[in-house]
Amino acid sequence: MKLNDYKLVFIAVGLIGVLLIATPAIAANIHLPGGQQFSELYLLGPNKMAENYPFNIEISQNYSVYIGVANQMGSPQNYVLYVKLLNQTDILPNNTAGTPSPIQPLYECRFSIANGQNWNSLLTFSVSSANVINNQSTIENLNISGLVFNAEKPSIWNSTASEVPYRLLFELWIFNPQSNSIQYNDRFVDLQLNYTQPT
Amino acid sequence: MNRQCVIIFALLFFVVSACFFSSWFVVAQTSQTGSKLQAASTAVNQAFTSVLAAEKAGANVTSLLDQLNNANSLLAQAENANTAGDNSTAVNDANAVIPITQQVTTSAQNAKENTQVSSRNAFWSTIAATIVSAVVFVLVLFVVWRWFKRRYIKGLSEAKPEVMGNEA
Repeated sequence: MKLNDYKLVFIAVGLIGVLLIATPAIAANIHLPGGQQFSELYLLGPNKMAENYPFNIEISQNYSVYIGVANQMGSPQNYVLYVKLLNQTDILPNNTAGTPSPIQPLYECRFSIANGQNWNSLLTFSVSSANVINNQSTIENLNISGLVFNAEKPSIWNSTASEVPYRLLFELWIFNPQSNSIQYNDRFVDLQLNYTQPT
Repeated sequence: MNRQCVIIFALLFFVVSACFFSSWFVVAQTSQTGSKLQAASTAVNQAFTSVLAAEKAGANVTSLLDQLNNANSLLAQAENANTAGDNSTAVNDANAVIPITQQVTTSAQNAKENTQVSSRNAFWSTIAATIVSAVVFVLVLFVVWRWFKRRYIKGLSEAKPEVMGNEA
């Protein structure tokens, strides 16, 4: 190798070294865009597994499910989870339009989650009062986590139809700091229920 | 007859007034609960916005989020009590939200300011350390280059000329 070749090697080593020395300063001041930002909503059975979900429910019997949310939004988020009782004719949230169900919520949970963290809670519910006349049942009062809510939700049981009589709907809403309001996050899960009279 | 009419009129007036005031009381109580819940909700949103700003500034907001979750739980209890028709619990819980959110907001603002100061100091320290390190590195490399160059030239000048044999 000639002297000029060695000179080039020294210059290259110098540039690489300066770049390596500047790496901490560069890393601290350049923020690369993160990955996809989203929230997860999940519903688990009473054993924290995706099984043994309550379906045939009776009056005064306690049923429980775990509801959970995971924050993958890249920053802390403030969530509201609405619980709604729907019958066959009530409108479900529209995934395409991103609109929630128009039914008024019975119950709600509010919580903040740091980025990458999960929140989950046990939700216990029971039917406090209901009646069945022929094939029509009406859930009058629903007890959720110790509070009794006036539901007054009638439903017709049709064994040939694919529609289930009731749905306990869980909708995820998120606080938007730009608009300073909570907005539907286009995430929902539902628990299908069939009210049966105790024999 | 006249006295009877007056008594009946007075009774009617009393009943109508009582109905009016009781319904007014219910409406007033409901609107009071609604305004308390609205105020609590706004306070939680403001506190969360402060926590978010502190987090963006680089502060550790884990304990602030825990405190905010206490306020969130109380607000949810208040909303649920209101839906269940328990106005007094709703008002009490909504009132209890406010001092927590005020504390969270103040702590978040302090954390943000402290973090901004320390971040600024850390930034300038990093820049200064980087510049000093880079200058020292380049100087050392230059010294090494000078030594290497001298050794290389010396090596060349001390090299013995080789006499190539003439095979022909």
